[in-house]
Amino acid sequence: MTDTQDIAISVRDLKTFFYTNNRCNRALNGVSFDIKKGKTLCIVGESGCGKSVTAASIMQLLPDLSRIEDGEIIYHADRGDIPLHALEKNGRDMRRIRGGEIAMIFQDPMTALNPVYSVGFQIKESLRYHLKMVGKAAHQKAISLLKEMGIALPEKRVNDFPHRYSGGMRQRAMIAMAMACNPKVLIADEPTTALDVTIQAQIFELMDKLKREHGTGIMLITHDMGVVAELADDVAVMYMGNIVEAGTVDEVLRNPTHPYTKALLSSVPVLGKGKSQDIKAIRGSTPDPLNRPKGCQFADRCDFAIDQCKAMPPETHMTSTHRVMCWRYKELSAHE
Amino acid sequence: MTAPIARSTRRRTRLDAQFDRIRAREEAGEARSRGGSRTFNKFLNNRLAVVGLVIFSVIILASIFAPLLTPYDPNKIDLRGMLQAPSWEHWFGTDRTGRDLFSRVLYGGRISILVGLGSAIMAAIVGVLIGVYTGYVGGWLDALAMRISEIFMSFPQIILVLMLVSILGQSLLNLMLIFTLTGWGGIYRMARARMLSLREEEYVLALRSFGLSRPLIAYKHMLPNALGPIMVNITLSTAAFILQEAGLSFLGLGVPLSIPTWGNILNVAQDLRVLQTNWWIWLPVGTVISLFVLSVNFIGDGLRDATDPTQQG
Amino acid sequence: MLTYIIRRILILIPMAFVICFLVYLGLELTPGDAVSHMISPDMLGSMDPERLEALRQSLGLGQPFYVRFWSWFTNLIQGNFGYSTNGGVPIANIIATRLPATLELAAIALLFSTVIGCILGVVSALKRGSATDSALTVVGMLGVSIPEFFFGLVAILIFGLNLGWLPVGGRSMPGYLTFWDRVPHLVMPSLVLSIMLTAGVMRYARSSMLDALSRDFIKTARSKGLPEWRVNVLHGFRVALTPVVVLIGFRLPVLIGGSVIIEQVFQWPGIGIEFISAVRSQDYPVVMPIALLSVMAVLIASLIVDILTALIDPRVRLGE
Repeated sequence: MTDTQDIAISVRDLKTFFYTNNRCNRALNGVSFDIKKGKTLCIVGESGCGKSVTAASIMQLLPDLSRIEDGEIIYHADRGDIPLHALEKNGRDMRRIRGGEIAMIFQDPMTALNPVYSVGFQIKESLRYHLKMVGKAAHQKAISLLKEMGIALPEKRVNDFPHRYSGGMRQRAMIAMAMACNPKVLIADEPTTALDVTIQAQIFELMDKLKREHGTGIMLITHDMGVVAELADDVAVMYMGNIVEAGTVDEVLRNPTHPYTKALLSSVPVLGKGKSQDIKAIRGSTPDPLNRPKGCQFADRCDFAIDQCKAMPPETHMTSTHRVMCWRYKELSAHE
Repeated sequence: MTAPIARSTRRRTRLDAQFDRIRAREEAGEARSRGGSRTFNKFLNNRLAVVGLVIFSVIILASIFAPLLTPYDPNKIDLRGMLQAPSWEHWFGTDRTGRDLFSRVLYGGRISILVGLGSAIMAAIVGVLIGVYTGYVGGWLDALAMRISEIFMSFPQIILVLMLVSILGQSLLNLMLIFTLTGWGGIYRMARARMLSLREEEYVLALRSFGLSRPLIAYKHMLPNALGPIMVNITLSTAAFILQEAGLSFLGLGVPLSIPTWGNILNVAQDLRVLQTNWWIWLPVGTVISLFVLSVNFIGDGLRDATDPTQQG
Repeated sequence: MLTYIIRRILILIPMAFVICFLVYLGLELTPGDAVSHMISPDMLGSMDPERLEALRQSLGLGQPFYVRFWSWFTNLIQGNFGYSTNGGVPIANIIATRLPATLELAAIALLFSTVIGCILGVVSALKRGSATDSALTVVGMLGVSIPEFFFGLVAILIFGLNLGWLPVGGRSMPGYLTFWDRVPHLVMPSLVLSIMLTAGVMRYARSSMLDALSRDFIKTARSKGLPEWRVNVLHGFRVALTPVVVLIGFRLPVLIGGSVIIEQVFQWPGIGIEFISAVRSQDYPVVMPIALLSVMAVLIASLIVDILTALIDPRVRLGE
């Protein structure tokens, strides 16, 4: 394993279960990954595979009828290692970390901001609670944050209400709010899904800049492979609560091993390839999470399924960084 | 890795135990989906609605079959037997002129319920007729109707009712007419709002393109879609009108005192002596009114849940 | 913001005028006219018909309708409401002496129902599904089902007559010097008056709060590491407040109407009890202005509520 000096958050064998309707839904069934300092980890997968649950688990923002069942989430802070999974959900320790050292931005900036308070107020809330900054200092800091995020006329904008902002501006404001206390880790849950493609590019440019200038580790959740190609340093492909393949972006995109990864990549149209490119939809649909098949969850939809797939494949490391959960990885991979 | 710093660990809560049970059951293969908290609320509301329906039916049936339930004439005065406490002969006792109170409550129920339900239905008819048509047509007609209803609704209802009672005089029919006149505004607004939202639906445009006339479209095709909330509104209006009638008759300004209604019976409670010493004259009646209105509210809530699936618990 | 207020006031004026007109129409429809309104029936009977006719002419009663309406209206604006048929007391005096009592009652009831209703509603929402929640829901249902006057009667029986803790009625007794002396008289009427509104506010606050708590910005607030109370109150309740304030505005007519009956039950010397006795004795010159006044009160109160809403919810200010 790599030196923990570079790692901001280590997640080991995380299991999160949901208990609604008197049923037990294994949303996350043993997930492991690292968020490295100053690097972007992209978590990709279809809707419902557990990407957002992963983020919620790290931030301890899970809904009432669920819990972290097993596993570890270790936050490697300057002052030591902190087991986030063991902290009281809304206790002082966790709340100090949440927002102050690990921040999160959400999918829809239109609804994620409180409509009755000015943007400046909402940014200053963070500053007050984590950095104990008040009054003029906080006001100035809020303005400079908005400016850093590329919002024009920040002195005026800081007192405006969210509905006066455009969609892209709102997301920038959200990022400003999240970065206010200079967090070590930024978790972004599909931050541009609700925005125009051109705005998307701007937001990602902004995030990249932050990563380089502040050394923030970014965990970016997305379903868009194009985004992965652009931004990621590392990738983790999720399916039905498991990470089926993970590695550096080079490894995973140039050498996709797991059938699901391959299928995802071939279902994305490539600009410039023309009308005749072969886009394959993945056949079948995701299984009912309450009625899961035994063994590999992807078997029913997999072109390479064999009998052995009725048992869950273990996580195998093909290189020191590239791992995959598939029985047939040797044949499917291009590694030596 | 260096040793973990934060010592605090999560407390086990009541939920944790519940979760463990569910998980064990799931792993044993015995899991089945059952109603969670949202369905529970619906169920509870349904149970309340059922309770409400039972109480409602008991009271209404008792009023309708009053002659079968009591031998006494509610208006028969018997000065020798006045102010008797409840007994086997007079279940609710007698009032100041010796009239049997139980039969007065039963027969009075007929009138009170008639006033309440009748006015609610009439107000609904007026409100729906106007609301559906003007809501659909729009334009100056709609604006005019809105302004008129606003004016009516700016009056505190009691004040408007009393004003009209003083002008038109007291009678059973007058009261129902006055209630209708003062109460149509609420249903009108609601029907109009539904019309406005339905107006843009595609099937309406299709009907227009077939050349159907506007009243026909409004009444025949769009109205059935608004029926759910209208029914809920009627039940809740009934409760409101019964309370109003009770209040007015209590003051002596509602139904004329010669006709027994629940409120009329309470009229004598304005006297403090009666209040304290002759409790049977007013307490049972008031309780019956409260139970009846409560049951109607339960039913109305249950109806609302049944017809509006987006309602949060 | 200012334009919003001015716009609302401008809409108010024509409506007030129309209502005055309708009320005057009602006055015209009642039996009798200004002369009989001014002179007691006994005196009317014994007066010389010629003098009566001369009186009528001098008062301009032979004039067409719109002239009479205009003079009535201008009188009204100047504060001259005419005279009561019971003893010829200037109605303006009656109103002036009685109004403070009613306002006192209504204000306390409004304050109580808003504060207590919101608190109970929020508690109910935060403890959703618990026993407390169910209990409060049932209590709320009872609150809107039991007739207010019946509640008042029971309260008088228990607290006034049987236990003797509170006076059974009236507003004040000779010998009272300060406001605090009168407080025991205030307790029962204002609480009973507020019951229905409290139940309504509680129910609405609960559903509004549940709705606000389910929205995304609550997640954002939590993700900033804010303490739970701040998330629930400053973010949740603050947003839930707007619909509740609007609801209170809608229910104001009910509050004013309720005070009419409550004043009767508790013999509270306010405008409501005056209204009832005027209706009973068919004293129309008193009935009409009081009715008018109540409508004005509702309109003004609605205006205030609208302004309040614009203050607490910035989205409203732009007219969205």
